[in-house]
Amino acid sequence: MSQDDAGELQTFHWMMDMLQSVDVGIVVLDRDYRIRIWNGFMESHSGRLPSMVRGKTLFELFPDINAAWFSQKAKPVFELKTRAFMTWEQRPYLFKFHNYRPITGSEPFMYQNITLAPLVSSTGNVDFISMMIYDMTDVATGKKQLEALQVWQTEEQERVSRV
Amino acid sequence: MRGVEVSQMYSVLVCDDSLVARKQVAKCLPQDWPVSVHFARHGEEALDLLQQGKGDLLLLDLNMPVLDGYETLKAIREFGFPTRTIVISGDIQPAALERVTSLGAIDFIHKPVRPDALQEALKRHGIFSPQSSSEETDCSELDPKVRDCYQEIANIAMGQAGDHLARIMNVFVQLPIPNVNLIEVSEMHMMLTDIDSHERVSAVCQGFVGPGIRGEALCILSDSSFDDVAKIFNVQQDVDDQVQLELLMDAASILIGTCLEGLAQQMDVKFSQGHPVVLGQHQAITEITSVTSKRWRKTLAIEISYGLEGYDVHCDLIMLFTEDSMATMNAKLAHLLEE
Repeated sequence: MSQDDAGELQTFHWMMDMLQSVDVGIVVLDRDYRIRIWNGFMESHSGRLPSMVRGKTLFELFPDINAAWFSQKAKPVFELKTRAFMTWEQRPYLFKFHNYRPITGSEPFMYQNITLAPLVSSTGNVDFISMMIYDMTDVATGKKQLEALQVWQTEEQERVSRV
Repeated sequence: MRGVEVSQMYSVLVCDDSLVARKQVAKCLPQDWPVSVHFARHGEEALDLLQQGKGDLLLLDLNMPVLDGYETLKAIREFGFPTRTIVISGDIQPAALERVTSLGAIDFIHKPVRPDALQEALKRHGIFSPQSSSEETDCSELDPKVRDCYQEIANIAMGQAGDHLARIMNVFVQLPIPNVNLIEVSEMHMMLTDIDSHERVSAVCQGFVGPGIRGEALCILSDSSFDDVAKIFNVQQDVDDQVQLELLMDAASILIGTCLEGLAQQMDVKFSQGHPVVLGQHQAITEITSVTSKRWRKTLAIEISYGLEGYDVHCDLIMLFTEDSMATMNAKLAHLLEE
């Protein structure tokens, strides 16, 4: 093996290690929505090992996810090679995970932003898509608190102006 | 004004370097005993309070920084303070018992303290007898075997963490026995408000999660430690708020990271760690616990107090696990729980 090959292998190894440990959920799905990759974040939060989920469809593993609805989101990613986004404001979560801070966190579950991105093969087709799951709990909690405060402030102003 | 003197409340002084242990001891005092309770973090603080006339009864831990239990007992005898001392310690060597009784302690109770053991001792020495037989309330429902097992893995994890610290910072790390307790929301609240009201500490918390196990690590550093921590980390500039925060984060990352790694290895799991969060001082604390109290009642707490020899550094690391994590933990540790 040449020096370059060894270096590339090393880089590949690093990349895999980072995908495994990055604090973002990474899942690769095929056209049947069968799970091909399930990283450390997904493993920790779902409590399911990669060996338990690989080859199974998203919908049999998580019956709460509406297949028709999800397929509609994913379709343009497969067909048009565009990205699709779901934000926590649309729906708080796709996977019902616990809050990262179970003791001091104020919300019971994790708010999530989801990105679906195409994985283009060498032939130019998209047979697989990647799904990234971001923890938005802190942002959501902050925003909800701020809104509650604004409502309270408006009510208070009305009350004062009436007196 | 004789009445005032007569009605002055009996004072109980609890001296322990561990926050959880102090609360635990205070909670184990008889419910129907009208006393004022004072706290000291080490022998020197206890002596100060005794000087002020506090502490008709002293509940004393042995392993503490600054001034340990033995030295405290000696000093009490020298000064002739009229206090009665019951030692509460995890050190179960017979020599320890002999030593403390020869130094004037009237009794010795093993840690973790239980209400019935403390009441028994109070009764034995005619300090307090309950009017009616109060119902048995356990400080903790943790099976002793399970507790020992958690304590053991915490010990190993802590030892590894201490070793890493010692190598990185070139210091000698003092390792106490970790405290393992099931604590309730109310106690957690007390602990956090304690952090809040005490201006002298800063705290960071970090969530962690693995398959079936989740929790939070809480790292509490006393503000008096910062100058010495800066020395250890070789910080040349002035230690302002910004630098303090940085030091806190650095210390917390090392302590939480190594301890968590040690626990994960022994349970054969991998934990994901969230981003650390500085526990706010104003609204956050009370709000935090008022909201969460709806969701959980009990949490498993492993508390470790680190000290560094030759430095005035005091740091508490508290690993909190949700109650539902314990089933997985016990399964993972089954090989240790079996005879």
